[in-house]
Amino acid sequence: MNNPNKIKRLDNAQRERLANLADELMPAGAGLPSASEADVHQNWIDLALDVVPMMAPALQVALEAPGEPAEAIEWLQREQPDVFMAFSFILSGAYFMHPRVRQALGYQGLAVEENPPLEGEAEYYLEDELLEPVLARGAIYRQVPESS
Amino acid sequence: MAKHEKAEVLVVGAGASGGVVAKHLSEHGFKVVVLEQGGWVNQGELPGNHPEYELATAQKWSADPNTRASDADYPVDQTDSQAPVVQMYNGVGGSTIMFAAVWPRPTPGDFHVRTLDGVADDWPLTYQELLPYYEAVDVEFGVSGLGGNPAYPPGAAPPLPPLPIGTTGRKLAEGMNKLGWHWWPGVNAIASKAHGDQEQCERFGTCVAGCPAGAKGSTDVTHWPAAIRSGVRLVTGARVKEVTLDEQGLANGAIYIDRDGNEQFQPASIVVMASNGVGTPRILLMSQSQRFPDGLANSSGLVGKRLMLHPCATAAGIFDEEFDELGPSGQKIGSMQFYESDASRGFLRGAYWTMYDGIGPHLHMLRHTLGEGIGSEPFWGAPFPAAMKAAAHHTLMWGIVAEDLPEEHNKVTLDPHKTDSDGLPAAKITYTMSDNTHKLIDFHCQRAMESLDAAGAKRSFVFLRDVPSGHLLGTARMGNDPGSSVVDRWGRSHDVPNLYIVDGSVFVTGFGVNPTGSIAAIAKRIATRLVDTAGDQKVSA
Repeated sequence: MNNPNKIKRLDNAQRERLANLADELMPAGAGLPSASEADVHQNWIDLALDVVPMMAPALQVALEAPGEPAEAIEWLQREQPDVFMAFSFILSGAYFMHPRVRQALGYQGLAVEENPPLEGEAEYYLEDELLEPVLARGAIYRQVPESS
Repeated sequence: MAKHEKAEVLVVGAGASGGVVAKHLSEHGFKVVVLEQGGWVNQGELPGNHPEYELATAQKWSADPNTRASDADYPVDQTDSQAPVVQMYNGVGGSTIMFAAVWPRPTPGDFHVRTLDGVADDWPLTYQELLPYYEAVDVEFGVSGLGGNPAYPPGAAPPLPPLPIGTTGRKLAEGMNKLGWHWWPGVNAIASKAHGDQEQCERFGTCVAGCPAGAKGSTDVTHWPAAIRSGVRLVTGARVKEVTLDEQGLANGAIYIDRDGNEQFQPASIVVMASNGVGTPRILLMSQSQRFPDGLANSSGLVGKRLMLHPCATAAGIFDEEFDELGPSGQKIGSMQFYESDASRGFLRGAYWTMYDGIGPHLHMLRHTLGEGIGSEPFWGAPFPAAMKAAAHHTLMWGIVAEDLPEEHNKVTLDPHKTDSDGLPAAKITYTMSDNTHKLIDFHCQRAMESLDAAGAKRSFVFLRDVPSGHLLGTARMGNDPGSSVVDRWGRSHDVPNLYIVDGSVFVTGFGVNPTGSIAAIAKRIATRLVDTAGDQKVSA
């Protein structure tokens, strides 16, 4: 089994390269911060690698993709689609953990939150006789021959 | 080899069926020992309420044992299958740790497939025979739902009130009503109120990564603590290598390997296999002897064959409206509209639909990049922010559980090359999807998109198809004829009268619904019979 503790941390140059590549994938807009504004290249990529260490090799390949960020992304998509898929998977996973990103997308808190059902809530969502048409059609299962 | 005190009943596997049997037998005074290759799951370690919860399901909490590759897992070679097809969890609770707890029953006709549709086989038991056991395990698993579903004959309502269908369930229900199609509030093995050892659902929505609230009906919560209180001895880190026989051909225990690599022997009067549709045939095939050179209880040659996997599909729709996106996940609503066979569709059998909220932004990214059609459109770069804003809290999804029919070429065998960490043969899966299954899935995807459109989706698409379900069925089927089945209608081996199989292996056909409720009901029926007939049971001296 992979040991997350064995994942080597990125150095400063790698983090800078990662920030540039990540911004190419996830720029700011529509109320969302860019990837680098969300510190994807800092603690969030570290946490992501701790959780999915098997994607560290793909990240390494992506960081070494040739050219300026836009060219590198294009090269990865064209020449290394599996690497690109893993790279975009872990990078977006890191991005979506950032509280600012979560908030901008309508997710409260750092993770999912407790929200136990309220008294009467189940009935509320079935109001206006929502089930009436289903009940009016009656049984829909096939009858089984008694001899079978 | 260390030898332990003899058990009256040895259960191999601490998942759903093993939990039901061990609890039932111990509560009726039997001395039960259980061997489980995995360990206990610490609820505090489950990723569900941690920031990394979505990423965690890609590796440590993956449902794929090859990806997870923990000490408790054994390799499952799937290179002879169309795609990776097997999911499971090995540990106390088994795959209920990661199941969605969707708890629909099959219909009466599902037990008479040969009679009604002319394919596969009839079961040697009926829906009505199983009904009392369905109702019993509904209580044991803390099932929540609404009674009166016209897709089934009358029966008791689920023991706990339904969970709210929420804004998302209501939206799709309105679409189904426009089309005149069946739907019903979801029935889930998730406690809407505190129930026994289960807490009330907190609607985290991360059910398939394990329930951090202790509300889901996973047997590490619902069964094993109670079973241990009743005297069950549960041995973890115990990987069974072989079920052994005495000179009379009766099962007399099992050899297992502990986590230190030492072989130990657990003697028993009765052996119960509860290791799922891959693990059980693997152990039986490893248990070769002069009497059973092709594997234990395998005179029919069917151990490992007729594997059914319920290939799944999902259809998604993006809406203008914003939804609450709450759990459980779990199902909000379900549909049996296209469940029963209709040969005019060009295929036989059907599928159950479950509407569930996938909780989290990463899933929206995956839909955009992997969905049919949408996946080839620009997403990364400039389109990314607006696309994510349009998708998060704006997407609804139908999951489709397709019934695949039993075919002998779909099978579990022992891998001739790969081994697990103890040197035991890996399981090898050979599985090909039939033309019938392809047609079935395509039909259901098209209808599911129509449903999303009717509900007002501005765009609908197939997110995934032909993906694993974690449903492992049919590899030691039950039947009345010893020549064409492995166990009888009571789960007892035709070949070895004190060897029982209680997991999804015994399924004759797979139904088109999530199977854990049926696995549990069948296990409960077998356990009840074991108690009732204990005086007549042949046992190893």
